[in-house]
Amino acid sequence: MNDQAERPDWILGVDVGGTFTDFAARNTRTGETRIHKRPSTPADPSEAIVEGFRELMEKIGIIGDDIDRFAHGTTVATNALLQRKGARVGVVTTKGFRDLLEIGRQVRPAVYDLQTDAPPPLAPRSARVEVAERMLHDGSVLEALSDQAIEGVLEDLKDIEDLQGVAVCLLFSFINNDHERRLADAIRTARPDLYVSISSEVQPEFREYERFSTTLINAFLQPEVGRYMARLQASIGDAARTARFGIFQSSGGLMSVEKAAQFPVRTALSGPAAGAVGAAAAGAASGVGNLVTLDIGGTSTDVCLIRDGQTEIAYVREIAGFRIRLPMVDIHTVGAGGGSIARIEADGLMKVGPESAGAVPGPACYGKGGKDPTVTDANVFLGRLPLSLAGGGLTISKDKAEEAITRIATRLGVAPVKAALGIVGIATSNMTRAIRSVSTEKGHDPRNFALMPFGGAGGLHAADVAAALGISRIVIPRTPGILCAEGLLEAELQENFVAPCRGRLENAMDDIASASAALHAQGNDWLRREAGEGQDGRVILALDMRYVGQNYELQVEAPGAVGDINALRRGFLAAHERAYGHADPDAAIEVVNIRAKAVARLARGDADLSGSAEKGDAKGVVPVWFSEEKQLDTPIYDRSDLPVGTLLEGPVIITQLDATTLVPPGSSVTVDAALNLLMENHNV
Amino acid sequence: MSDASDLDPIALEITWNGLKSIADECFLTIMRSAFSTNIKERHDHSTAIADAQGRLIVQAERALPIHLASMSGLMTHILEIFGDAIAPGDIFIGNDPHVAGGTHLPDINLAAPVFDGDRLIGFVANIVHHADVGGAAVGSMSGGLDEIYKEGLRIPLVRLYRGGELQDDILRLLLLNMRLPDERKGDLYAQIAAIRLGCKRLDEVLTRIGPDVLTQTFSEIVSRTHHRMQAAISRLPDGQYSFEDVMDDDGAGTENIRIALTIRKKGSRIIFDFNGTADQVLGNFNQTLNATQSAVCYALKALLDPNVPNNQGIFDAIDIDAPVGSLVNCVAPASVALRANTCQRVVDTVIGALADALPDQVVAAANGANTSAVFEGTDPRTGGKYVYFETLGGGMGARAARDGKDGVQVHITNTSNLPVEAIEQEYPLRVEEYALVEDSGGAGQHRGGMGIRRTIRPINHNCEFNGVGERFTNPPWGLFGGFPGEPGSFKLKNDDGRTTSLPPKASRVKLTPQDAAIIITPGAGGYGSPGDRSPEDLDEDKRSGKFTEAYFRRHYTKAD
Repeated sequence: MNDQAERPDWILGVDVGGTFTDFAARNTRTGETRIHKRPSTPADPSEAIVEGFRELMEKIGIIGDDIDRFAHGTTVATNALLQRKGARVGVVTTKGFRDLLEIGRQVRPAVYDLQTDAPPPLAPRSARVEVAERMLHDGSVLEALSDQAIEGVLEDLKDIEDLQGVAVCLLFSFINNDHERRLADAIRTARPDLYVSISSEVQPEFREYERFSTTLINAFLQPEVGRYMARLQASIGDAARTARFGIFQSSGGLMSVEKAAQFPVRTALSGPAAGAVGAAAAGAASGVGNLVTLDIGGTSTDVCLIRDGQTEIAYVREIAGFRIRLPMVDIHTVGAGGGSIARIEADGLMKVGPESAGAVPGPACYGKGGKDPTVTDANVFLGRLPLSLAGGGLTISKDKAEEAITRIATRLGVAPVKAALGIVGIATSNMTRAIRSVSTEKGHDPRNFALMPFGGAGGLHAADVAAALGISRIVIPRTPGILCAEGLLEAELQENFVAPCRGRLENAMDDIASASAALHAQGNDWLRREAGEGQDGRVILALDMRYVGQNYELQVEAPGAVGDINALRRGFLAAHERAYGHADPDAAIEVVNIRAKAVARLARGDADLSGSAEKGDAKGVVPVWFSEEKQLDTPIYDRSDLPVGTLLEGPVIITQLDATTLVPPGSSVTVDAALNLLMENHNV
Repeated sequence: MSDASDLDPIALEITWNGLKSIADECFLTIMRSAFSTNIKERHDHSTAIADAQGRLIVQAERALPIHLASMSGLMTHILEIFGDAIAPGDIFIGNDPHVAGGTHLPDINLAAPVFDGDRLIGFVANIVHHADVGGAAVGSMSGGLDEIYKEGLRIPLVRLYRGGELQDDILRLLLLNMRLPDERKGDLYAQIAAIRLGCKRLDEVLTRIGPDVLTQTFSEIVSRTHHRMQAAISRLPDGQYSFEDVMDDDGAGTENIRIALTIRKKGSRIIFDFNGTADQVLGNFNQTLNATQSAVCYALKALLDPNVPNNQGIFDAIDIDAPVGSLVNCVAPASVALRANTCQRVVDTVIGALADALPDQVVAAANGANTSAVFEGTDPRTGGKYVYFETLGGGMGARAARDGKDGVQVHITNTSNLPVEAIEQEYPLRVEEYALVEDSGGAGQHRGGMGIRRTIRPINHNCEFNGVGERFTNPPWGLFGGFPGEPGSFKLKNDDGRTTSLPPKASRVKLTPQDAAIIITPGAGGYGSPGDRSPEDLDEDKRSGKFTEAYFRRHYTKAD
């Protein structure tokens, strides 16, 4: 199977978003790259995938057998969580701790809001069963799990109506999973009808609430995601028999359909993570390794920091109020997007978002019944969003945008132009505030980064956001509207492993050595089994370390040096310095976990970047408001008409299928060899 | 000189957003570069910007309610004490509740002025709860201390930096009086870094929009918030609203400590009159006026307009009359370390008073405490001393539309718990149970939230347990026919099955490996008559197993 010549030529990335399902296809031999877009079908996302897949093959003129790989970013898990539509699940847990999942970290979501609570647990108390057993922190058994106790659990589970899945969550199972395994085996044998998730498999790390919560979410998602994967595999499998499936994980790599069905919680942030991977790849093509991404969608904006070409990874995240602890591309979401609604607050000031007009009714200018002024309406009013080029077959009504803007302008007592500029300005200030927070938290100065806008509206706001942050350089990728689908083409196969390994660094070297060896073996085994066709397979080790007494860990990559205590210490001190601005060389350091990431590169070819041969003419000139004083005549170019090396001075608008880039006066833009647009602000 | 018309509402919103961003950035800077877990994990700190008159302009989004008025107290004192002597490059430091605008000694406040030439424009300030500031006991938060001198080092307002120069003698004096001086220094430097960043950012705004527009922006923020708060107050029916609540005891001999409140409201004016409240007590549950102000502002904001921005405009809309020398406006040398419990009770009192006026917004009494448990001993595995400190949540009060949340931090606190798997690895302790307390939520049309029970045993050694509980003798009340929730308690469980009750302020209780301490936090009150509870909710109560048969018989059996 390693002989790539025997494989078909085309690889395909499919990203399902709330409004559109995006496709990117590339011929790994010739580099020919094609994109496609069609409305999503939220009731069954696979419908739009299968339909769009057929359309795209037709467009390219290929058949199913020409497809080598099908990489998929999915929101099925995210939506099931957001809508709380998943399985009826139960929990089996250590005696005395049935309520632990309900108490969580005992915090409430909004300090001043007396009416809002954290969501109730996905398994109600009546479906949470206790079992007499107890492990200790060193893996020794305080109370053994008896067969009688297991029988008791099976009896208790019988009493839970319509049960579909069970999460087995025992204390200290991350260090000794014997009890969890025995329980899981017994449940699987007695109840083949149930999906079973066990915490020592889903996330074998200490901190019981986070581990249990992640496991419960996994159990909750299993039936739904499992069915979806089966359905998709069947229908795509019919159309493309040779295609191999890769499902995109929140951690930034692909996994098999089987893994996705077993660990659906790993796909909870699949979609946005693909965008970050796409952004990193697009940046690399232009030789830019430090990026702040700005993915502006309809209801929200996702921001991710990419340092030296690597997306930052986070280990804890809440989705819909449920805590997940797994490695995930570190994406921050701000409630500001194209559909964000402008309104006047009780203090008489205008606010933009977090309320959004969403896809339905959408911004007023969509003419689908939306009346509230949104960011998109402001852009239309200002002339920044050309009417004919919204992408996806939407028609835009400038009159309806004007109506909505004028209404709020009247209430504010200002001219409509001022109100529209204000809406854009306030939305920009919301995004800027988020990016500043993210950078400060990570210890970075945004001025040392380039901004990479994507999503349909990223390019409309990038210049304003960059100026506010003091960022002088903006890189607009070749296909900003479908960067997530493009990212899927670039994705590697990836699997993450973790093993507990607790102790002071100087005492733990033997444990580190044996745990690392075991993880290495696991990683290599996985590479052989699941990454047969992958190239450049490698296992990267990292240690979770902290000072003794700290409650938070830092991940320190250990490139081949796990046996070198000084190298580990230096690595930790550097990581501490970077993350927190200081490091004490004399304080005692301890290790908490060892992680291994196994990755294998897949055939992906190089995108054909020849682009247009000659610069085309402007498609037209439109008046655009950049300030309240007057409109500026602004030429509109079609991006496909701009060959490598083109230099344009703002004001100018560049449009393409699904995205618009606004170059304000005082900025210029060039097309680089990777067909990315580089925008420079001459005033920063 | 620009006039008011320069401040169009859009520019104002954008500048305001920028100022909030500065406070947030300062907040994150402290979180990122502090040394102690209390800051990094529990985020027990706040940041703010004030104007030249010391008015609070913006607070970081994640700042704590209890720190709200402490910031303005600090500013008032700086201006009073230093006045015209305030100079560029100064950084002021202070913590004393009686002379420096603090609320308790572990909260160390820093503030620095920002100038345009020689014109004072405003201040950047922050507060960090330090894990120890000296005094009689580790952590500077022990119960039973009867004067503030015992609670830790009192810092009046002094300059830590003068004209940009660190006053090293001051720093050495401070650190010598604190346990873990290296950690304190690390946390102080984090505060200083945040001050510097805030000054730099405020300076950038100053350069961009100029001193006049910035000053106008400050005033406009305060006046718009003031009007917004007044408008919310105006919607309350005019009248007089009274309520009384009682705190259990001060751990130093005074029991049933009364908090009396009469709210007089007319038009957009509202006065909170605490006359009738008990005198300050010996034990350290007293609070200074600014802590009372914080609690009142929290309660009123939560009831009337949870999204109103935190700034001077809120204070300006509220008058407080609290008798000098009382529990809620104490004077030196009153001890104050545990004032969070008192703040919680003031919040309950305000909510109780306004229940009839705001039946849809109020909540029944929540667990009303800041239940804390401290285990101290020598770890037999290492021979080293350890201190394990935790604060536990309890029930949230029932509401007009729904039950109270079970097992959660309420009102002015919102700190996380420590994982069981962390406790058992780090300390020679075993957590035997972590559960909701059956029957602890008060019955009602909507029931109160449940308290938490945590059972902890020392392993292979003897240790000492110290606990501070409230609402252990005065249970959390219900509203509109709802029943009270169960009070909390501390107990000692013997291996022979005997359980002994401990006092609500359990001091230096010896535990052997044959004993376990049981910490039971209060539940919360119900809302509306139990007779009106829907059959579906009752079914859920039964299914959940959170209540006993006896509880159902007692509360929900109809007379017929």
